[in-house]
Amino acid sequence: MMPTAEQERWEVLERIGAYAAGELEGEEAREAERLIFERADYRRLAESYARMLVMLNTLGNEPVEAPEVVISFAVRRAYVSAFMRGAEVFLGSLGRSYLDAFVYYLGLRPKTARESYGGGI
Amino acid sequence: MSAGDRNLALRAARGDAGAFSALVQEHSGLVYRVSLRVLGARDAQDASQEVWIRVWRNIKNFRGDSAFTTWLYRITMNTCLSVRQKESRRDERHYDGEVPFLAEPAGGDADPETSALNSERREEMEAALGYIRPDHRAALVLRHMEGLSYAEIAEVLDVPDGTAKGWVSRGRAAMLVALSKENGGRKTDGAAP
Repeated sequence: MMPTAEQERWEVLERIGAYAAGELEGEEAREAERLIFERADYRRLAESYARMLVMLNTLGNEPVEAPEVVISFAVRRAYVSAFMRGAEVFLGSLGRSYLDAFVYYLGLRPKTARESYGGGI
Repeated sequence: MSAGDRNLALRAARGDAGAFSALVQEHSGLVYRVSLRVLGARDAQDASQEVWIRVWRNIKNFRGDSAFTTWLYRITMNTCLSVRQKESRRDERHYDGEVPFLAEPAGGDADPETSALNSERREEMEAALGYIRPDHRAALVLRHMEGLSYAEIAEVLDVPDGTAKGWVSRGRAAMLVALSKENGGRKTDGAAP
């Protein structure tokens, strides 16, 4: 288990980070301000957080384009998959039609009202 | 959510590869960018391809309750975290000695936007991100690089809001500790008057 002193140091580290990110309000914000005011190393810590957050934001805002190979792979795969699905449906229905015709030819299935040509709905 | 995205997603769900292709063209940057931040350059390309395979396979499950991009972030993060699953139990909550800090860039902070990211800093940032536990890294990237709210992060990572907030907080602290170490090595080299 983590020693208490180390845990406390880490909690202060996180609290000042939350303050630098503008995520603390009310009493929590005042507590963080008190820490920063009292200790020069915490002041420097808050400044370091602010600098790091600017860098993260700047890096995050830089445009990144996916390599062409990723795009073409995804698109090609989808087209092949869609074609295979279509072919499966087509061949499936074709096979079923042939099977139905064969069953009908052999007289294995009685006509239903819907299939008859005379008085269907 | 964008009506265009929703319409394309619904058409793609019915097997329209053209609509899916339009979604890929529109959002491939988001998927690759997030994969790059979470996994690094070596694995980002493979992960991005895997994400789009999963999107095509699962798009019929997209109900349009949330934005298409939120759903896409979720699949991207799940894919990236499954790549990094073995690292996920590392405890990062410690640092040695002094309170960590970053040296000011040469020339001061008069214009932080322009002075923030020279190539050296960029390498340090990318290396430091690699030291953070993957779930905390994912939360940090979504919050401070992608600009998502905590509610959106919680939805993407499928955790309660409080957990999302805790992960961002730990990731932020771990990032600073790692960055101060990265920065410390180079700072010593260049600090002499």
